[in-house]
Amino acid sequence: MSDEPDPRDRPWRLWASVAILSVFAFSVLFGFVLLPVIQGRGAGLDAWTSICRALGIAPGSPAAPQPTSDAKAQPTTRVAWSAGLMEALARPSAAGATLASGCAACHGRDGRSVDTKLYPDLAGQSAAAIYKQLYDFKQGSRANPVMSAMAQPLTEEQMVALSAHFASFPVRAIAPVDLAAPGEAIERLVARGDPARGIPACNACHGDQSGGPVEAPRLTHQGTQYLAAQLRAFKSAERHNDIYSRMRSVAAALSDGEIDGLAAFYSITLAY
Amino acid sequence: MTHARNLTFAHLWVAFIAFTIALVLGVWQMWARSPLPAPFLTASTYFSSVTAHGTATAYVLTTFMVMGFGYYVAETALARPLPAPRWAWIAFALGVAGTLMAVVTILTGRAAVLFTFYPPLIASVFYYLGLVLVVAASWIWCVLMLIAMGQWKRANPGRPVPLAMFATVANAVMWLWTTVGVAAELLFQVIPAALGLKAEMDVGLSRTLFSWTLYAIVYFWLIPSYIAFYTMVPQAAGGRLYSDTMGRLTFVLFLLYSLPVGLHHLLMDPQQSNAFKFLQVALTALVSVPTLLTVFTIGASLEIAGRLRGGRGLFGWIAALPWERPMVLATGLAFLMLGLGGFGGLINMSYGMNAMVHNTSWVTAHFHLIFGGTVVIMYFAIAYAIWPTLTGRAAPSLALQRLQLWLWFIGMLVMTLPWHTLGLLGQWRRVATFNYADPIIAAWGPWVIVSLIGGVILLASGLLFVYNLLEFNVAREPNAEAPGALYATAVHPPARVPATLNGFRLWNALVLVLMVLAYGYPLAQFFIIKSPEALVHRVDERR
Repeated sequence: MSDEPDPRDRPWRLWASVAILSVFAFSVLFGFVLLPVIQGRGAGLDAWTSICRALGIAPGSPAAPQPTSDAKAQPTTRVAWSAGLMEALARPSAAGATLASGCAACHGRDGRSVDTKLYPDLAGQSAAAIYKQLYDFKQGSRANPVMSAMAQPLTEEQMVALSAHFASFPVRAIAPVDLAAPGEAIERLVARGDPARGIPACNACHGDQSGGPVEAPRLTHQGTQYLAAQLRAFKSAERHNDIYSRMRSVAAALSDGEIDGLAAFYSITLAY
Repeated sequence: MTHARNLTFAHLWVAFIAFTIALVLGVWQMWARSPLPAPFLTASTYFSSVTAHGTATAYVLTTFMVMGFGYYVAETALARPLPAPRWAWIAFALGVAGTLMAVVTILTGRAAVLFTFYPPLIASVFYYLGLVLVVAASWIWCVLMLIAMGQWKRANPGRPVPLAMFATVANAVMWLWTTVGVAAELLFQVIPAALGLKAEMDVGLSRTLFSWTLYAIVYFWLIPSYIAFYTMVPQAAGGRLYSDTMGRLTFVLFLLYSLPVGLHHLLMDPQQSNAFKFLQVALTALVSVPTLLTVFTIGASLEIAGRLRGGRGLFGWIAALPWERPMVLATGLAFLMLGLGGFGGLINMSYGMNAMVHNTSWVTAHFHLIFGGTVVIMYFAIAYAIWPTLTGRAAPSLALQRLQLWLWFIGMLVMTLPWHTLGLLGQWRRVATFNYADPIIAAWGPWVIVSLIGGVILLASGLLFVYNLLEFNVAREPNAEAPGALYATAVHPPARVPATLNGFRLWNALVLVLMVLAYGYPLAQFFIIKSPEALVHRVDERR
């Protein structure tokens, strides 16, 4: 499409370009300079910092004054998920099997707890869930007299190997005589939650088909007392290694009866 | 007329079949979200349905409509045969194959990611490849439109390209720019992840790339309606186009200001800075210029028609317009919906108000009103206008066509006005079901049911639309009008227009400058500052 240049068209090209670039310059002047500087003044920021913040090359939003405090923020957990970590967690290794002998006294040689009232089953648990808890014990995000000490000397590779190892065992069989129908109210909490109290469905994260956080553990095949104890620990915030207080806020809204009911539900449910 | 006859038929029928299926799904989705018990409802059927509905309306209906109508305009407005019709058929085959590939993937439950993708959610790769084929088909169409205009210009040196074709090529040029963003997202991020080559992806980057496409794509859908406003409506009303130059300026401004503005979709996103958000919102505000130019020009054109028909006084010309003609009626209804939707849009683009409505049903209601309302009602009017010239038969019943347009208008308002209200009440979007046992949510129930009734009216209107087109097959009365007679003459038909308004070279240069300035750093930052990546989350592998 060769348009032959026509002298009559020159003003068109010129003025169209001038008009469009003026609008652009106007927007830049306002958005990059005037608004940030004026708003930044209210927040006690100098002009240069305000402009850098507006551009996104310095952190912070230009308008909000930041509260001052000496408190040091502590992350709830320091685990960072990455593709490489997920891949390693999916591969059980011989190193894991060797290390696991140190865990057998409580968690069993094949990940089946010697006392389900006190210790969780690790067999068939998701490797990511085991790894997250080991990591938190080591870092101090979660505390337990035995586990904190056990996790302390472990290296990152060892924690990965242990997690992958225990995850590879099949889950414990549940005796058919133990199976019982949970109450309707408990089943509703699991499947639908209770929006009126701000409780999401347990299934939203812990269900087999959920798209929840990678670290959400499988809850079935655990002892009733153990599950109830963990929910109560979240409720009192004694346990606090849940990101965004997810579990603390859920557990705080649960009654004692519901905690026991949910713990019983999961301990006698084959899969959910 | 016409070598493109079968081509236009084929494209428009694919568009309207996809549209009808999407309507059925849409009604079911409204039903699922209502307090009334809906069949087949689980979260996964719901999100698969939403994905199918969005894909059918946003990608299939629109792309095939734009392509089919483009072929029609290229032949009728330029009055010469389409160049390389074989390539047009190849593009059609690619588009149909891509559509089927995407549909099968969605139906097998492997693509519930919604039509806007939402990475790091990743669907089966066949869903994305299907869409890539549809886009590739549209690129062939773009090239054919550019060639058609180029050939005409060489054969008619110095003469202005007919407005309908100028606008069609403006749309083709804009679409080539528009698809760069989503193509980069798909080719470099999403498809490698879907193939399992990448386990992590930078969601900030993919959202920014998609925002590049997300606003301009709406103008790609809208421009056929604007072509009808400028070239068909004044003629259908029995008048003349008030100004040919205004039309050219409008389409050029759409090209310029639909592209460097996509960050206004990311106002609540943390990965972009306030200054660039402000810049792009300021440029967004300029879209009001071509919109108001159009309201003025089409208003003036209709006034000319009304006065020629004997209308007197300040408003008498409005009553004198031939409202019994579907094109005129559709324009009136489309303008009403554009007015309402436009005000809603002003709220969305305002940072503070956007924060309140961003993740609510307000936004869903807004784009249904603008796209489903203004754009689609003009698709109907265009089909009604060109079907007589394609079939060679006069419309069997204008009354049924008018009934269909009214039903669409009423259904759209009954559906979207309560939907907007629900958004203001806090109803969130992208959610399958609501717990109506909750007293707050229970109060939404009646409004959702009213919305559902609107959806049912829309479905009835859509089915009547298909019936009206099929009626042409049994019509007996021949069509007397020549295809070229559909287009209006301007009050002052241009003998010569500046080269700037007869081609796109200058505007392409300016788009490039604006895109580099507005999107350069917002995209470059992802490569300058190492940002955290998200784990890919496959939706086609769940147990």
